[in-house]
Amino acid sequence: MTLQINFDSSWQDEMAERMENDGPWGNWELYKLAVEIEKHTIIPEFEGLQAPAHLPELTPLPHQLEVAKQVVENMNGKAILADEVGLGKTIEAGLILKEYMIRGLVKKVLILVPASLVSQWAMELNTKFHIPAIAQKKSYVWEQCDVVVSSIDTAKRAPHRDIINNLNYDLIIIDEAHKLKNNKTKNYEFVQNLKKRFCLLLTATPIQNRIEEIFNLVSLLKPGHLGSETAFFDKYKKDARSVNDDEHLKELVNKVMIRNRRSDTGIEWTKRHVETIPIQFSDQERALYDSIQSLRGSESGLSSSQFSLMTLQREACSSREAVFYTLRNMLQRQENPSVGFQNTIAQLIKRVEAVTKNSKAEKALELIQQIDDKVIIFTEYRATQLYLQWFLKQHGITSVPFRGGFKRGKKDWMRELFQKNVQVLIATEAGGEGINLQFCSHIINFDLPWNPMRLEQRIGRIHRLGQEKDVKIYNFATKDTVEEHVLKLLYEKINLFEKVIGELDDILTKLEFGNIEDHLTDIFGKSASEGEIRIKMENLTSMIQFAEEMKEGNQRAATGNP
Amino acid sequence: MQQQEIHNFLEKYFTANNCELLENDKGYMTVQLTIDLDKELMNRPFYWHYLEKTGGVPNPMKLTLITNKQQAPEDMKGEVIHFGSPRLHQIFASTKNLAGYIRLYQNNQFPAQTPLIPWIGLNMKISYQCDRKRDVFHSIGLQLINGRMEEDFHDKLLKLPLSTKIPDYAYTLSPLIKPKSGVNRIQSFLNARVEQEDHTWAEDARKRWQKDLQLLHHFYENEEEESDSYKTEKSALQEQYEPKIKIEIVNGGLFYITENAL
Repeated sequence: MTLQINFDSSWQDEMAERMENDGPWGNWELYKLAVEIEKHTIIPEFEGLQAPAHLPELTPLPHQLEVAKQVVENMNGKAILADEVGLGKTIEAGLILKEYMIRGLVKKVLILVPASLVSQWAMELNTKFHIPAIAQKKSYVWEQCDVVVSSIDTAKRAPHRDIINNLNYDLIIIDEAHKLKNNKTKNYEFVQNLKKRFCLLLTATPIQNRIEEIFNLVSLLKPGHLGSETAFFDKYKKDARSVNDDEHLKELVNKVMIRNRRSDTGIEWTKRHVETIPIQFSDQERALYDSIQSLRGSESGLSSSQFSLMTLQREACSSREAVFYTLRNMLQRQENPSVGFQNTIAQLIKRVEAVTKNSKAEKALELIQQIDDKVIIFTEYRATQLYLQWFLKQHGITSVPFRGGFKRGKKDWMRELFQKNVQVLIATEAGGEGINLQFCSHIINFDLPWNPMRLEQRIGRIHRLGQEKDVKIYNFATKDTVEEHVLKLLYEKINLFEKVIGELDDILTKLEFGNIEDHLTDIFGKSASEGEIRIKMENLTSMIQFAEEMKEGNQRAATGNP
Repeated sequence: MQQQEIHNFLEKYFTANNCELLENDKGYMTVQLTIDLDKELMNRPFYWHYLEKTGGVPNPMKLTLITNKQQAPEDMKGEVIHFGSPRLHQIFASTKNLAGYIRLYQNNQFPAQTPLIPWIGLNMKISYQCDRKRDVFHSIGLQLINGRMEEDFHDKLLKLPLSTKIPDYAYTLSPLIKPKSGVNRIQSFLNARVEQEDHTWAEDARKRWQKDLQLLHHFYENEEEESDSYKTEKSALQEQYEPKIKIEIVNGGLFYITENAL
């Protein structure tokens, strides 16, 4: 085999010229320095990373090093990093970035992360990797700084958008990239238009086995690699069941995606202890819940929306404040509410007013006093969040709220207050994503999300690398309510807490039956009786269990065991 | 390179370029740039152009570099330098740029008239490149009278006292081999050696390339004529995988040394 050898000839021409002119000649000290630099910047082996040798204070875990190596050596810097929550994707991305910077391949970098993580990313890159990353605050930063961290929402807005679109980036890192799987969104379009050489997409949610999502994410990394969109979908029907059916697609996915599971990493994880705390309604609370239940099928005008009745019922399990807030909104939204509708609302509000105590809140208080350590309470409702803050304060317990809508600075501030000064952090759903709280090891799920992924996100805030203690999770479930049903299904029968979310995710996509949340809303909303609910819930459970067995069967088949 | 080594390197670089270190403490340094180095590093050609046109008083900049944030004073303003930072790459490039060509004489106290023999010395980097990369450093010297070749030439030079001026009682012999053909001899010597090496790495890269091409082809096989995006993707793969060997000269020059110096 012939190999082309290129010898750099420019040197000798210039040498000849300098001999002719008797100089200018370089300085011996600098000459020696130049050789020293060369020896330092040489890449001695085809395989292996340079960065770790230059980062003496950082000890990356084996799986993190492996990911960085794969991306640099085999993936040409275009990859989806899909490790499970809490395995340190930030470290992996930092290693890759550092490696490319050392090799002189990357200078201009854009890092897009959730608003609540901007400061944290900038800080970690600075302290752990000596990379002077800047959190974007002013619009001149885009052009003047080489490594900029920002939220995608800021970046895609004017005037930033136009500035960014004019820049050529060597590397783009996008955290929580699963939000880009739909190519009709503004965010997708924005990212697609960025000019980039290398690109890392970070997500804890793997590409679900849907052809369309794969097409969209791979197209961000390697536009044009999958052929034209129409030709692609002609070949692989949009609704095709699974990528695994097609060898080529499978091969492709393996070329661009790396996914580590906790179980693969060989790291000792602290344990999860899950405890269900049954809550008994007071009579007034029960009356409120039942009166909502009784509206089903009646002509109140409320029952027309399955969704709002379901919401009200779930709220009744959380706090009377949450119910009240929704009722008031429902009334305000109607332009000319009928008398019947007004009456129904008024009656419900009376029920709300009759409630004098919150059984869950009292239980939470008792638990917090007993734990006597930092606790995170998650609730789905803002009204509950406000109430709890007030309630805890009445009993001398300090707390801070946390919400997705907070500005970045406020989120940092709240996190810091929680770490240093107060005992309890009360977070709503949107606040659960993208904040790391591993200094705390107790979570109270004041009410439960119906989407198991969201639950894993919540737990992932504290059960991640860096957590030193066992993690305790307390699930509150009010007896004889929808909540109890859901808890039984999701969290007891299918053992959600013992699994990691990736497994469940695999199972659910195999089933192809869509979103668990939709199924639940459907079951609770459309069933005529308790009995029907129970039967339907059992059906759902068996389907999930069946899929699970199917998966285990496949795995056995794959490893050749009987 | 650890942060302390970077600090030492910067110190040497600025001192070698006659810059005054206004402050030089643990974790940071402030340097008064010379006019030349300001032009070299600060990228403000308009300022210098303007100044030369108007004949104003030149005011080269001061540069504060932080090599360790923890050790530097907390409110210190300056550029954080790390291995991999663009500024350090720039200074590396500048070092090479400023010291690409050299002419030195062995500087001993010679008791009597001593002839100094001319050598051409080259420091080179061979890069083996495909989708991965490997470099090897070579330093080779060639005597310009009899064509003798020495490896590890640079390290051997480091043991000699060298100076930019020809010392007393020393005189230089004129080369019989032209420096240019000296370089050519070194080139063919290296080429021959590289050709004999084991190049499984290149074969492997070609195999990976072929596999990726097949995969790509699969997504385009139904298209009648080659679309632009297919061509772009194919050339992107070529760029990524095609094995190449590059020999780059880091620096080099003429060295006049005594007959038995090496």
